[in-house]
Amino acid sequence: MSGDPAIDVRGVSVTFGRRPALESVDLRVEKGDFYAVIGPNGGGKSTLLKVILGLIRPSEGTVMVLGGTPFERRHLLGYVPQYRTFDFSYPVTVGEMVLSGRLGHIGGFPRRYRQGDRVAAERAMETMGIHDLAGLEICALSGGQQQRAIIARALVGDPEVLILDEPTVYVDTPTGEHFLDLLTGLRRQMTVLLVTHDIGVLSSRVTKVACLNRCIFTHETAEITGDMLEGAYHCPVDLIAHGLPHRVLGEHEQEERP
Amino acid sequence: MISVLALEFFRNAIIAGLLASVACGVIGTYVVVRRMVSLSGGISHAAFGGIGIGYYLGLDPLLSATVFTVAVALGMGELSLRRKQNLETVIGAVWATGMALGILFVYLTPGFAPDLFGYLFGNILLVPREDLVLMVALVAVILVVVALFFRDLFAVTFDEEYAQVMNLPVERISLLLLALVALTVVMLIQVVGIILVIALLTIPAAIAREFASRLWRMMALAVALGAIFTVSGIVLSYILNVPSGATIILVSAAVYGVVMGFRTLAPGR
Repeated sequence: MSGDPAIDVRGVSVTFGRRPALESVDLRVEKGDFYAVIGPNGGGKSTLLKVILGLIRPSEGTVMVLGGTPFERRHLLGYVPQYRTFDFSYPVTVGEMVLSGRLGHIGGFPRRYRQGDRVAAERAMETMGIHDLAGLEICALSGGQQQRAIIARALVGDPEVLILDEPTVYVDTPTGEHFLDLLTGLRRQMTVLLVTHDIGVLSSRVTKVACLNRCIFTHETAEITGDMLEGAYHCPVDLIAHGLPHRVLGEHEQEERP
Repeated sequence: MISVLALEFFRNAIIAGLLASVACGVIGTYVVVRRMVSLSGGISHAAFGGIGIGYYLGLDPLLSATVFTVAVALGMGELSLRRKQNLETVIGAVWATGMALGILFVYLTPGFAPDLFGYLFGNILLVPREDLVLMVALVAVILVVVALFFRDLFAVTFDEEYAQVMNLPVERISLLLLALVALTVVMLIQVVGIILVIALLTIPAAIAREFASRLWRMMALAVALGAIFTVSGIVLSYILNVPSGATIILVSAAVYGVVMGFRTLAPGR
């Protein structure tokens, strides 16, 4: 059981209508990885995450999560959905929203929060630095604070794997850096898999990188090779050395948007 | 005014209005936060089909409407869950089909349908005592179910996808919510009629949303507002001798308009 990879995606294809979103994608995330999947918008990144979470059934291929099917194991995953798809107009406080992330661990009927759940919520909010905002309604927060609240909700379930969809979209660059430090801190406790179209968020903190544009291009290190980028973005891109500022793709991304 | 309260029909009307306010405040809150307003509109108009069938088969129209409406609501829920159909299109079809079925069955029923107009536009001043008992039972069911499933309903209406990841029974909870909407709609038919149901379901909750920061507070405020609107609407319609359902809706809409006007002029949030 402990030898199982955190996430093992094999030959997964997904088709929406006639349009293929993913084509025989393989992705193996080991426990303790800080894995980044990059790729252009519309390249299937969110789809891949939803397949891993058991929200989309692949037309081909298999997905194993922590040695089981996504349905058996997904309550052990912490999911941070894309910020812009999130509905912040719901009447709920930050504290309640974060606490609701415990519901997957609460059996019984009717479901009730216990002391331990409240303690876990406090801790998750402290980790994300939004402890003092607990009583506020979520629509009263700034974009960055809202993003932290979504992550806190994912952390409150003590996930073994944290899965983030475009976590830095609405975080400005200084905060973005701090934000990555936060994720790096979390990494010591859990496996992290994030997808982003923003190659600028990548840094020496990431242990593995893959490029996804319908097909996946992997490299078992944190290095992004020219082949991978060319394959994923369909255009020659200057080779980006590990650890240097990666601003090159910022410009390409505009052209690649369908 | 006091002497009017001694009249049984008037007392019944006030009680019916208050019961309906409880149901529409609680369920209307979910309708508003989950953005199922047009879905609820479709469900309420489909109810007319149930009423027509009731007439045709010689059953109590309200009873057949209850069964039919819950079935339609669950069917629409299944359809939207199973196949990612464009729900808006399905709603439009169900909306009109329900009405068409109602019209057809009423036409096929021999004789004259005396209180058809009442089902369409409501007639709270004619609520009989037996219907009050039925309404009390429905309100009790709605309150108990919402209390027991409060956290599940919250999770599913707030973020359905995340609820799925947490392995909550999302499908069953969604269908439960639709059934509750259907029951509420049937209850409101007595009060304001099929055509006006959607306003009483959404306006109190929509106003409450402007002032309440948490779900249960929004519900409580929506119930209170619904009670004020129905009671003042009944009283006004009695004094002015105009239809009660329409008066209740116009009172609600007037308050909604004033609140929204103030919000636009002085944006507080």
